[in-house]
Amino acid sequence: MRPHNKSVLIAAACAALAASSALAAPAASELTDLSLEQLSNVVVTSVSRQEEKLAHAAASIYIISASDIRRSGAQSIPEALRLAPNLQVARVDARNYAITARGFNSPFENKLLVLIDGRSVYSPLFSGVFWDAQDLVLDDIERIEVISGPGSTIWGANAVNGVINVITKSAKDVPGGRAALIAGADERAGTMRYGAALGAHANYRLYAKYRQNDDTENAAGASTHTGYQRRQAGFRADWDLEGGGATLSGDAYQGSLHQAGTRDIGIAGANLNASLTGHGGEASDYRLQVLFDHTERNQPTAFVEYLDTIDVQAQYNLQAGRHRMSAGAGYRGAQDRIENGAGFAFLPDHLQLHTGNLFAQDEIALTDALRFTAGLKVEHNNYTGAELLPNLRLGWSPAEAALLWTSLSRTVRAPSRIDHDFYSPAVAPIVNGVPRYTIAGGPDFISETANVLELGYRAQPSAQFSYSATAFYADYDRLRTLEPLAGGGVAFRNFGEGRVRGIELWGRWHPSATLHLSAGLVQQSIRTGLSEGSRDSSGTTGLTTNDPGRHWLLRASKDLSDTSQLDVSLRYAGSLPKPAVPAYYEMDARWSWALRPDTELSLIGQNLLHRSHVEFGAAPARSVFERSVLLKLTQRF
Amino acid sequence: MAISFSRPQPFAPRWPHPRHWLPAFVAGAVLLALFCFNAVGAQSGADVANLERNVKAAFLVKFLGYVDFPENAAPTAGEPLVIGVLGDDAVAEELSRITAGRGMNGRQVAVRKLRQGEAPGKLHLLFIGDDDAAGIERALASVRQQPVLTVTETGRNLRLDSVINFRVIDERVRFEVSLEAAEKSNLKLSSRLLAVAYKVQRAGH
Repeated sequence: MRPHNKSVLIAAACAALAASSALAAPAASELTDLSLEQLSNVVVTSVSRQEEKLAHAAASIYIISASDIRRSGAQSIPEALRLAPNLQVARVDARNYAITARGFNSPFENKLLVLIDGRSVYSPLFSGVFWDAQDLVLDDIERIEVISGPGSTIWGANAVNGVINVITKSAKDVPGGRAALIAGADERAGTMRYGAALGAHANYRLYAKYRQNDDTENAAGASTHTGYQRRQAGFRADWDLEGGGATLSGDAYQGSLHQAGTRDIGIAGANLNASLTGHGGEASDYRLQVLFDHTERNQPTAFVEYLDTIDVQAQYNLQAGRHRMSAGAGYRGAQDRIENGAGFAFLPDHLQLHTGNLFAQDEIALTDALRFTAGLKVEHNNYTGAELLPNLRLGWSPAEAALLWTSLSRTVRAPSRIDHDFYSPAVAPIVNGVPRYTIAGGPDFISETANVLELGYRAQPSAQFSYSATAFYADYDRLRTLEPLAGGGVAFRNFGEGRVRGIELWGRWHPSATLHLSAGLVQQSIRTGLSEGSRDSSGTTGLTTNDPGRHWLLRASKDLSDTSQLDVSLRYAGSLPKPAVPAYYEMDARWSWALRPDTELSLIGQNLLHRSHVEFGAAPARSVFERSVLLKLTQRF
Repeated sequence: MAISFSRPQPFAPRWPHPRHWLPAFVAGAVLLALFCFNAVGAQSGADVANLERNVKAAFLVKFLGYVDFPENAAPTAGEPLVIGVLGDDAVAEELSRITAGRGMNGRQVAVRKLRQGEAPGKLHLLFIGDDDAAGIERALASVRQQPVLTVTETGRNLRLDSVINFRVIDERVRFEVSLEAAEKSNLKLSSRLLAVAYKVQRAGH
């Protein structure tokens, strides 16, 4: 970084802060003097309430609130996920990310489940998330719940290392229109949303979004051909029903993703999601959800995938004396059709995947301060039949706002198409009547397993300060390897093992109504190895894990006045071993100014500390990410 | 079974050269110092950090001034207006703090913390902290048919028969009003309250 740039940056920050002697938010003693109208206009940041609700959750949960997202300046879901200290987020290129919790990171990361309003976006084809196909209007996200550690008893197989729940706002909470334009040197985006009432008990909103990102470059200045254009539109309607509610939402998108040496990758998809919640009597409540999802991905010279999914889930909760019981069932039917290229093939090229589950959980209040939870999910899949996903948790509250908890879980990652059905080349030479594939699928591939022990403490000693600490130890077995076959070629097997241990720490401090500070740190050791006799060759395929020993985050948010805000975040990611990536520090900042009550202008600086840095991948082809500045204009109407 | 770990990672930290982290450290330290310096100036003695809760507490006290209770329920001379708070002790404490020594329309305001399942006794306003649907329903049922102004704060889509429900919209605390629920509770709400509500659900809908 050139020194004068740094000075300019710091000088600008100082100037902005010096100008902040303007009106701060009103102190509590003055609130009672305000009129009803004035009270309705006090801007609140609803972080602490969510922390209070977490006071009894015996798990490592971090909640990214709507205001966290807005104030971070993040323009995509993966960038917003950087706000969770318990996630590792590494940008690979213009559109690909490697995201995980508790290690095993790679662009093919396969142990993290991601749900958008209950809709899983985990691909059964490649056992991971196509981040380049997931988008939302970020202002319409109510919160993102990030659970590190196994969540299989509730969310099912594949929630091995964590679960990300993206929850969008009710249509009731976003009345009126909002348009936003975002522009920077390498990206441009526009969003439009309109919400209104639909009769006395219903509300709806409609939205559309366009986004365009340029290709990134490698260190030598050559394009990586990973830029994209994407269009998305959707709706959500919410009904208030007697003692309950219903929601219907849908999205449709289409995109062109650049790829080196070929025409663009075409992606498209649409989904429809209906849910019903309510309560039967005063002690029980229920939730039903039905969703349809269609996705297409046309990756020239590789494959074309068409996937249709139907998912039905039901859950029932009952409070009876000292017991709080939950039971549920779900079915997911997925049907895919693959047009295989020449290099590799998913065989068979047409498959129906059926996944069914049943679960039950009982939370028992042993005493007022001590709660014990036992739960079991049985999930059945095409490849390995029934998998058992048990969980035991114990939580003790020594004080009202403190919880010491421990948890023991067994979890699995069930096989996906890529583990079981991946063959290369697509058409193999026949030798003695037997096709000779270089990679011959994984007919013997079974589920990867993990046994996980966690110990955590969470406390909110004052309204201004809260923190959480979690220590974890996980024993992984039957991890995916690529083993040579007797007759030549290789096949996917389960001869990998791993031991992971570490700590996750984070805290939030609100020294005043206008200042929020937060910090998070993960220190971890991820050790993977091979069972005796393994001759794994997956190290050369990019399927192996690449994790930092430490990463941390510091954020500060300051209301400079009633109309202007400043946010700064500083993050560190430790070095990655293979492919080697140096450790890096980076800083993002955002300054916003409300020109009028309905118009806001914000200036977002990303990766401000260095001219460029790398986050993932092997030199010299990997992308470098440059310092950038974005301008965002938001108009409500 | 023997395990050969291919690439052990030391747990102990290895610090990179200062050239890599010094700019970040300096920038971070300067900003933090500025932020904290600024914070000292902005801090007042009161618990101002939890603004959402405090705004809700201020609203609750104000609501009492915009509701007419039936004669048999209105407090007699010298009796306080009673606010019951279920499932949110922090709001109860904030209410006690802001109502101490000052009343509403010349009356004292008393605040009572309630526990789930406890008989609420005589109340004028019942605030129910966010809970699952069944818990809220249970609390509302405990004062049904009584002239009590019920206030909930559920962010989920529930058609509750509370008179007022808080929602956070665009980072502001707003409230919706059910005239049907008010009628059932035999309460009259002032038009000024309805004018500020972001949504009013009329009776018969």
